[in-house]
Amino acid sequence: MVVDKKLLYTGLLLSVLFVVIGCVWLAESNETFDVVAEEFGAEEASIWSAPLPDYEVPGLEGNVAVNIIIGVAFTLLTLAAAWGVGAVLRKRS
Amino acid sequence: MHIPDGFLSPAICAICFAATAIFWFFGFRKAREALNEQLVPLMGVLTAMFFAAQMMNYPIVGGTTAHLLGGPILGITLGPYAGLISMTVILLIQALFFGDGGITTFGANVWNMGVVGVFVPYIVCLAITRAWRTKEGLLAGAFLGAFFGDVLAAVFAGLELGLSVTFPYSVQIAVTAMATHHSVIGVGEGVVTAAILYALMRSRPDLLQLPKVSPSWLGDLPISDVLASGG
Repeated sequence: MVVDKKLLYTGLLLSVLFVVIGCVWLAESNETFDVVAEEFGAEEASIWSAPLPDYEVPGLEGNVAVNIIIGVAFTLLTLAAAWGVGAVLRKRS
Repeated sequence: MHIPDGFLSPAICAICFAATAIFWFFGFRKAREALNEQLVPLMGVLTAMFFAAQMMNYPIVGGTTAHLLGGPILGITLGPYAGLISMTVILLIQALFFGDGGITTFGANVWNMGVVGVFVPYIVCLAITRAWRTKEGLLAGAFLGAFFGDVLAAVFAGLELGLSVTFPYSVQIAVTAMATHHSVIGVGEGVVTAAILYALMRSRPDLLQLPKVSPSWLGDLPISDVLASGG
């Protein structure tokens, strides 16, 4: 497979930048959907205990450096997962 | 717009899973035929970028925040079926590892953000670009597509909530509330989508000209005509 290295590195650089901005300056989440749901009295009933709730390590909440590491690690996992799914689908064709 | 477990009735969850599964079936089948060696890395990189971009919460009116969904640009650059696969990967990782969106509501979340949030922008952009084959037409189509995609995704989320017996308010109230709030977010999604598309047109027009993974009944965006238009 021909890998466009410039695209890959630019994409990764931008992704890391997004994670850093998201963890340092634009971290506070008060989503419209959650506000509307809360106003209407909808109640969450989780059936799955996520290991990193709200994108933070339990016990290390608010630690920006840890959040950045988590963000970057899962960005790489997402890259691998999407690329992997695409590669498997292409191989089957 | 990630709906957590408990917000939707089991019947609504099942209907959303079934509706989404139809798109998954055709999407994965088409992707097997249409994904090429250039599109696979692009899909990986864009999926990772929009996973990261969703971590940025920008303030909007009334003290609330919003984040980019990314569905419109994924749909326009990769084609709606590949965009759906990308959004499915993002939403699955968010639900499993971060509890952002539920497991029972996974089908509903993929329907709202991966089907409606990807196909509507693509269809709107396609219609406008076919009628107005210039760069301005493509950008206008991307903006309007992203706007309507975001608002319609919110309308579907409102419908799902309103129809759920676990939710004490009517469909009309839920849909109105979601659509009103998301019309503001839709403008932001539209501006960012058009800006990214403009940047790609200037820097990497070749990426926009790759074959799209789209349903044959929809066809591809006439990107080559648009880029050749000089408009």
